[in-house]
Amino acid sequence: MSGYVLGATEIADTFAEAFPMRFARLVITAASETWAMEAARSMTGYATSVIGCKCEAAIEMALGAAETPDGRPGIAVLLFAMDREGVGKRVLERVGQCVLTCPTTACFDGLPHAEATMPLGRSLRYFGDGFQGSKVIGGERFWRIPVMEGEFLVCESVGVGRGVGGGNLVIGAADVDAALAAAQAAVEAMRGKGIALPFPGGIVRSGSKVGALTSTSLAASTNHQMAPTLRVQVDDTLVPDGVNAMFEIVIDGVSEEAVRECMRRGLHAAAGAGAAHVTAANFGGKLGEFHFPLTELREAP
Amino acid sequence: MTLTLTLRSDPPARVIGAPLIPERLLGRSASAVRAISLRCGGDTAAVGDLFEVSGAGGERDRLVLAGDLRRFDWIGAGMSSGQIEVRGDVGAWAGAEMAGGLLRIAGDAEARLGAAYPGSRAGMTGGEIVVSGDAGEETGAGMRRGLIAVGGQTGAGAGLRMLAGTVIALGGIGAEAGLQNRRGTLASGRALDPPPSYAFSARFRPPALGLQLRRVRALGLTVDDALLRGAWARWSGDRTELTRGELLIFDEENGGR
Repeated sequence: MSGYVLGATEIADTFAEAFPMRFARLVITAASETWAMEAARSMTGYATSVIGCKCEAAIEMALGAAETPDGRPGIAVLLFAMDREGVGKRVLERVGQCVLTCPTTACFDGLPHAEATMPLGRSLRYFGDGFQGSKVIGGERFWRIPVMEGEFLVCESVGVGRGVGGGNLVIGAADVDAALAAAQAAVEAMRGKGIALPFPGGIVRSGSKVGALTSTSLAASTNHQMAPTLRVQVDDTLVPDGVNAMFEIVIDGVSEEAVRECMRRGLHAAAGAGAAHVTAANFGGKLGEFHFPLTELREAP
Repeated sequence: MTLTLTLRSDPPARVIGAPLIPERLLGRSASAVRAISLRCGGDTAAVGDLFEVSGAGGERDRLVLAGDLRRFDWIGAGMSSGQIEVRGDVGAWAGAEMAGGLLRIAGDAEARLGAAYPGSRAGMTGGEIVVSGDAGEETGAGMRRGLIAVGGQTGAGAGLRMLAGTVIALGGIGAEAGLQNRRGTLASGRALDPPPSYAFSARFRPPALGLQLRRVRALGLTVDDALLRGAWARWSGDRTELTRGELLIFDEENGGR
């Protein structure tokens, strides 16, 4: 390995490879943060990987009452897909099933100045079966959909921005407990504005590669190079000596810069929390247009 | 510089102020603004005879009218963009058939604020009118779209034959409100006896009204937190029409709880 060292952590001389994605940002409010969080968790469920879930989504951040359009506690959610239409479809499905249904919620567009939009309330209003109504407030149209508890208020459309998906860090340590602790510390440091970490708790243990060695029909299969138990079974292992567990943190961000700085925060947090080894996953640089070399993240945030 | 017209003295008769809208005055020189002719009773008067003109020729889409303009009717009527700020009272028909922009009145407005002309199919079709004081009779009559917010009270007959849109009166909507209202919203910050053609539907916290009240606060009216947090009674009507309009009355007796 010819990377560098941060404390006791070896940083591999490699890079994360990421792709352009489109994203929407929604602000879900409710009578309490608890209910806003319930809706946000439900909406971002089963959205870990675009390969299997058609989108990647996560809670971005909690918002105080002073930061939301209706003055109630809120949760900002980011949802990524491969194209604008994909974002629109997934947002419509998920708001319809997970936010409209959740007590006391309202749903607002978190990207009001985006160049592109996709319909949300404009489509969802039909649930109102003709009893729905709309109001234009401050130049923006909102739909009022009558429900059993009162009314669900939802924005007419959502902005769709250009983001970056698939940034990542891979964190290894001598045992699973140490690797997980370091990965958790990294996640804690990485979460924030403009960032979605779509896997459970922000961490994925089943990093994948494109395609498979044994099948032509699989879109993805286990990353055998980073599986410690296969260290001697494969010729191209990337698991260093002394490392017995690795976790990946996949990052979707609203910009290349957001992903880079998120990786920087995560790398240094992992090093400070006992990681033995930090590396990143890529596809040889042939598939993704965004490359994030770990050597560029040496400076602490 | 903002184009500012300051009233010199009371005009000899009622004046039609409709020509004084930003889209007509934007970019005009001071002499051109002064030369604009306004109907004054059975005669005409030049703007320069009635007002001191300053700040002309600018590109800002904003107009300030300063002084007691109670003898000026049709202020902001038909405007579709920009902003008019009136520092004083205005006469009748202010913002009549307005289509867009913001008309802000720091004072009282007389009858037919944002209303439809007699025989017109629709009154205000867009934009926002904010009145810090009271508004006269038939506020928002025939309104189709937009927002009228009144810090004080409206006179009788607000929302007459309203098609849609919103009238909010923080100090209370007057009597006989919302007659023949089709889809419009009338919100009263004070108790009110709804007309017999309205029926009680529910007591709830209307999320859209909450957003509108925040908007009104941002536009300069003082909105009590209780109105934002509290419950409102929804009365549906007019049942002689579609029963899709609503009269929202703040639940004052229970402090909105």
